[in-house]
Amino acid sequence: MQNVVWVDAVEPDEAVPAAGSKIGRLADLHRTGVEVPQGFAVTVDAYRRHCGDAGLDPQIDAVLARLGAEPSEADVEAASAEIRELFVATPMTDALAAEITDAYEELCVRCVDVNVPTAVRSSATGEDAADASFAGIFDTYLGVSGAPRVLDAIRACWGSLFTGRALAYRLRKGISHHDMPIAVGVIELIHARASGVAFSVHPVTGKPDRVVIETSWGWGEAIVQGVVDPDHIEVGKADGRVLRYDVAHKAIVSAFDFADGRVTEVEMPARLADRKVLDDEQIGAVVSAVTAIEEHYGYPVDVEWVISRHRRAGDDICIVQSRPVTVTAEESTPAAYDPVALAQKYVFSGKPVPGR
Amino acid sequence: MANVVPVEEYTREWYPGYKPEHFDFPYVVDAPSPFKPGDENAFWFLDFHWSRGLTPLAATLWSADGYCAGTQSASENLPLPPGRGVTCRFAGTHLYGSPIPEEDPREIGARANRLGTNLPHFLQNYRSIWEAGRDELEATWDYFQGIDLASVPTSDLGTLIRQGRRYHKRAMEIHFAVMYPMLVNFLGFYGSCAEMGIDTSLVGKFLQGEETKIMELDRELYALATKARQAGLSQVFADNEPGDMRAALSAHGGPASQWLTDFDDWLQVWGHRTDATCDVGVPSWIEDNTNAFGNIKTFLMKDTDHDFAAAARNALEERDAAIDAARSGLTREEQAVFDGGLAANQAANFPWWQDDHNYYIDLKVMLPLRQACQELATRVGADHRDDMLYLFWPELLQVADGEPYAGELSALVRDRRQYFDHWHGKRSEMPKVLGTVPDSVEDPVLIEIFGINPGSLRAVQNPDAANETTLTGVAAARGTATGIARVLQSSDELHRVAPGEILVCESTSPNWTPAFGKIAGAVCDGGGMLSHAAIVGREYGVPTVTAVGVATLAIGDGDKIEVDGTNGRVTILKRAAELVDTEPGQS
Repeated sequence: MQNVVWVDAVEPDEAVPAAGSKIGRLADLHRTGVEVPQGFAVTVDAYRRHCGDAGLDPQIDAVLARLGAEPSEADVEAASAEIRELFVATPMTDALAAEITDAYEELCVRCVDVNVPTAVRSSATGEDAADASFAGIFDTYLGVSGAPRVLDAIRACWGSLFTGRALAYRLRKGISHHDMPIAVGVIELIHARASGVAFSVHPVTGKPDRVVIETSWGWGEAIVQGVVDPDHIEVGKADGRVLRYDVAHKAIVSAFDFADGRVTEVEMPARLADRKVLDDEQIGAVVSAVTAIEEHYGYPVDVEWVISRHRRAGDDICIVQSRPVTVTAEESTPAAYDPVALAQKYVFSGKPVPGR
Repeated sequence: MANVVPVEEYTREWYPGYKPEHFDFPYVVDAPSPFKPGDENAFWFLDFHWSRGLTPLAATLWSADGYCAGTQSASENLPLPPGRGVTCRFAGTHLYGSPIPEEDPREIGARANRLGTNLPHFLQNYRSIWEAGRDELEATWDYFQGIDLASVPTSDLGTLIRQGRRYHKRAMEIHFAVMYPMLVNFLGFYGSCAEMGIDTSLVGKFLQGEETKIMELDRELYALATKARQAGLSQVFADNEPGDMRAALSAHGGPASQWLTDFDDWLQVWGHRTDATCDVGVPSWIEDNTNAFGNIKTFLMKDTDHDFAAAARNALEERDAAIDAARSGLTREEQAVFDGGLAANQAANFPWWQDDHNYYIDLKVMLPLRQACQELATRVGADHRDDMLYLFWPELLQVADGEPYAGELSALVRDRRQYFDHWHGKRSEMPKVLGTVPDSVEDPVLIEIFGINPGSLRAVQNPDAANETTLTGVAAARGTATGIARVLQSSDELHRVAPGEILVCESTSPNWTPAFGKIAGAVCDGGGMLSHAAIVGREYGVPTVTAVGVATLAIGDGDKIEVDGTNGRVTILKRAAELVDTEPGQS
């Protein structure tokens, strides 16, 4: 079994099993013609092999065995710290390190760069539901440059399979960590002018007639982590008309820190904070990408996207992640004005009419 | 001669234990009466439509035929699933209303199904339903207009009085049978707009700008004022009180005489209106010219004429702009829903109807009965022309049918006048709510027309309401205005309002509309988004806050206040007493 698979080369039926759902879906998107960044995944097998070859399995099991059936939160956190430290302290075998280093150097060549900065992303396995439950819980490192740092970031991502929250979840569900191993993507870091998320349905109301976009300058981490109030855009799917564009005051930006060699959250420059991020052409490009992806999968999706510094009008935008959208309420727009249904709903429900 | 088969034999007895009150059925669901033991278990609100109080005849006719027959039968027929209309009780001369809840789940479900049949039928046929009702009422009105009361034999006055009552009752059946489904359609559209993210303060604008009969009436009144100005009569109006105006104009002579002739001609066309809603106790403008003169007097106090044409143009432009702005934020699918709802509501335009129908119904529907009663009073030698208005209905029929009006009955009327005046003076002290006060109500009529919402229910129960300086209510018409508050108990005092002042009252009715051409803002105790003040405030661009609950209590006549009709806030900036000290130039 392979330790490394490339986003643009992995076999369709192997993509998700080998590369986890996040990177697997990226490979899937690539095949359907969506613009995605270059990169490879350190596979689930590589993770398993590392745990076996480096002798981590028995050590992890020993820590977990001590936890018992109903451990306290503090016990779980302590076990988590202990296991993650094991991953940090345990080097890869020379063979695996060499294979990953070789892949990284190939990526540098493909990107025509020396020590190309990458996004090192955890890519968990398991069902979509589990994927959703674990959203944002496993580590991602943005701006990792040079083979030694990439190797360290991969081991840190492996360790994030044992965060306190993940441990607690598996204990509650009675799932063994052996049943949900992790892959890690090493993906070219697109130099972002602006980025954001886009939903092919309204993420709150579930209305399927619109695309909802949230965006800010720089990389998307500040949006995903919720530390910046992004511009909010809604676009009608039927005719691509911008229905609303609310420009937010964007106080924080995820920017590349060259001294530190990573993407980090800093204060937004005053001149950019209140400026509208996307023009109509860029909005159109985001909308056509997200609707194409929804059409491909046949269900509503949310995507993370990036507009690279080098993008010109008419180019595709770059999709860095896609997953099924998790909507709590599902409400379809009625096809026509129905006075009786509306009367039942608003006049005779005993509830106040909204907006009063 | 018809053969008479006697019934006397069957009148003496019935089932053992039978009492006449066993057949004392409520009118439709519940009959009106004074308050009764047990009424404290229901929720009662002081109805702002009759802030003067009601005479015995007005009380029985309106409460039985208007409130109870009208709202309850419309609620049964449309139907309104959770409610069965409104019932009422009297505290002295003052009318309190109460929603009648429907609590049986099976019945609510059955009504919901019935609504599914009846509402679409109504909306498809709205125009012919309303016009047929209106034309029927106009035909009856013309019948009464064709009668020369002075030549009617006294023995026929009873018939005329009965016909007058039936005219009013029929008008109320038509009124509520049209009003309820239109209201329901409007609120459904409103909710749908809210759901689509449309700023709901714009929904009223989507439907504004349609000429109503009441607006035409106001324009004609204004034209008379313009004529007076052109005839150089402004000073005569400025120097005299409305009650003395006719005498003053007669004495002035010259152009004033011609103006008076025009005025009287005008009254014959437009003067068949009362400054009240369905109140037999209130005269028409023909009978009493005071408010007509008063309105013209205050119109002349404004330096420039109100430009009706420009206001109408603005209203239409504002409407179209609001519609375009709302549509542009909707998806194509939503636009289809919006366009359908807008079309349905433009065809059956509730805010328009809320104003327009008053010309045909509320303002004149009691006049034939009132005039027949006055004629009867003259024939029976009563002390006053309006003595009959202080009789209860069966007493009135006795007099009309030939029993002498003297002794006990006329003494009773004297006492009842005192009783009326006593309670008239107590109006401002009347509790706004009685009985078991809920946190909120469900009946859309109470919420949207009367403005009974959680905020106003809290406000009227605030023991310190009279000392509050910041009040909140429904943001009924946008904009802000600052000015001197003119606190009125009823439209009888409308002539006290000067241009640029802020009208404060329990609520307005159609007869208050002319005032909106001169005031800077309006604040009402009652009234929701669809009340008269809210609708007319939007048409005239007058910042208006309704459903404040305690405006007439907290705001003093002459206080300087700010009305924020965008956010539904009223602030008392300075009390009248302080203004006298610090700003002697202000009135």
